[in-house]
Amino acid sequence: MSLLIKSFSAVLLALPFSLSAFSDPLPPDLTYRPLPTLPLSRVKAADEAQKAAVVQRQSGLLNERYDLSDRAMQGVMMSGGRKPVQQGVRVKLAAGLTWDALAGMSSDGIREKNLLPPGFLPLPHVKHATGGQVFPDRQIDEIRRQEGRDLRRFDVNFDFPDHITPEFPPPIFLTTRPELGDVSRGQLLTIRNFYEIMNGIVTPVQMEGLRLLLTPFPQEEFNQTEDRKVAEQSNGVTCLDCHANFHTNGAFHLAPDVRPQAARFRLDTTSLRGLYNQQIHGSKRSLRSVEDFTEFEQRTAYFNGDHMSATRKGVHLPSRPNQVAMMAQMQNIIDFPPAPKLDPMGKLDRSKATPQELAGEEIFLGKGHCAECHIPQLSFMDNMMHDLKLERFYQIGKTYNDLVTLPDGPIKTFTLRGIKDSPPYLHDGRLPTLADTVEFFNLVLGTKLTQREKDALVAYLLTL
Amino acid sequence: MRFITLTAILTTLAAVPAMAQFGNPGGLDPGTRESAPGVPVPGQTNVPDRLFTTLAAQGGMVEVDLGKLAQQKSRNDAVTAFAKRMIDDHGKSNARLEQLAKQAGLQLPTEPAPDQLDVKQRLSALNGSVFDAEYMRVQVTDHQKTVQLLLWVIASGENGDLQRFASDTLPDVLHHLQLAQNIVSQLTGAAPPPTN
Repeated sequence: MSLLIKSFSAVLLALPFSLSAFSDPLPPDLTYRPLPTLPLSRVKAADEAQKAAVVQRQSGLLNERYDLSDRAMQGVMMSGGRKPVQQGVRVKLAAGLTWDALAGMSSDGIREKNLLPPGFLPLPHVKHATGGQVFPDRQIDEIRRQEGRDLRRFDVNFDFPDHITPEFPPPIFLTTRPELGDVSRGQLLTIRNFYEIMNGIVTPVQMEGLRLLLTPFPQEEFNQTEDRKVAEQSNGVTCLDCHANFHTNGAFHLAPDVRPQAARFRLDTTSLRGLYNQQIHGSKRSLRSVEDFTEFEQRTAYFNGDHMSATRKGVHLPSRPNQVAMMAQMQNIIDFPPAPKLDPMGKLDRSKATPQELAGEEIFLGKGHCAECHIPQLSFMDNMMHDLKLERFYQIGKTYNDLVTLPDGPIKTFTLRGIKDSPPYLHDGRLPTLADTVEFFNLVLGTKLTQREKDALVAYLLTL
Repeated sequence: MRFITLTAILTTLAAVPAMAQFGNPGGLDPGTRESAPGVPVPGQTNVPDRLFTTLAAQGGMVEVDLGKLAQQKSRNDAVTAFAKRMIDDHGKSNARLEQLAKQAGLQLPTEPAPDQLDVKQRLSALNGSVFDAEYMRVQVTDHQKTVQLLLWVIASGENGDLQRFASDTLPDVLHHLQLAQNIVSQLTGAAPPPTN
């Protein structure tokens, strides 16, 4: 007995020593968001005073990386006919370099000589240390007009010019009523007008799902506490504040799945069109159902991966069978925009497509390696995540506007159906036009396309 | 000579245009005096700055210390070359940090943290290839932690000079991490690092 006590005491004595090696001294707010320490009035005054410089710094970075001029493609409109598609490569190259010369270099050579166009690097948030959702002005103004709800942040503005964002409001196509075409009536769906617009078109279950998707709930930057970034106390944001009319308005945020803050990459809102065929959700999380995704975003403060912080501001825990299922069912009837030149297998109809578009399809399926992930029969995705390993081309760890450029790692394959409707491109919106995406993948995949082939590929992408 | 190198480094760094940092004013310490809104008056001892300088100084100190230990104990060329690089690179960044801390009126620690002393003691008892592998594994963990520390201060720090120091240092630390992972891979057969 006494022997047992002795050995037990020996263990107890030894314990502090063996544990001391685990007393990791890293700062406590690497994973958890720090609590606010100052009254809102002081934070707001400081944020407002910084705002002009914050906006100017971001616009400096964008202008250094891109040609953001308004150069519309002749006669090519987005699916609602409200906004032209922008043309040409907008990512800037180092002086004296050509795209062909760059594509001819090895990844090591490009990295060592620091020649990767900065526009191909991960794109920082306007104010990376704060992060959070940033809405384009059209969305802010329309929600103000219809609901009197404030989406305008006092610390940042939306950064890309309007012509580099999706048309607003985007059209809505339903899988259940294809013959109706766009059912949006040219309006932005909100909690005020959804019933009138959708009455008779959707089922009671879908209608209730839609109502919930349009109901504001408190979020990190939009709430009633001193942690908010809006002047007025806010009821919060809705799912469709970013996924405007179930598409996207280009609103951005930081990835919820990465910490610490400087390593979180920017996220450009993805379209919900064609969700019914999508098997994984979230650029990093690979959630296996839209139900999981919907439920989870409600309880983690919309894309912050932080249930602790969400709870403090007023968490919404939707009932899985009664609410989440309905929200999911509404999302699952959102269709892609019509693509009249595609046949049922996702291939171009030879009687309708131009020779250039057909040439583009051939490159898409062959030399360009596009279809290896963007499989036409699977709605131009493969329901997988892939790592492009862009870090082969740049030295990791450099800081741009408080974002540290680190490898992206595997990211979900996004659909290309209706792709002309959703600039800017890539998960963080770093590529303003389709021509930019062609140059990007030409380099990353080493496909060595000619200019004629690149142009054909862009022409093909416009038919999707 | 050493003075010249240091001066050269500091001059080069001073020539780089000051990159504006915009932290989240919501995270400022309540007592922070500001020279402009959201910009702390230099020379204050804010909690994040103090914590960062303490941890960074201790980390740098340990890298040099362990580098010297490895130079004494190891016969492996890759390990001794890595150890030399640690002594050189961290020697330089420690000097810059010391300078910045002095400007900010921050006292740097003179002793490593207890867990770091434990590691040194543990390594001192090892020899030969066992030492090599363990030293390099410790280097991987230490550099992973340093990456976290630097990322943290880039977003959450308050003193702009310290944040710029972190931004400038991070690519080298990531490179060291990769070197260490490569050597661990050579010594133990572990998988090589995922990035280039």
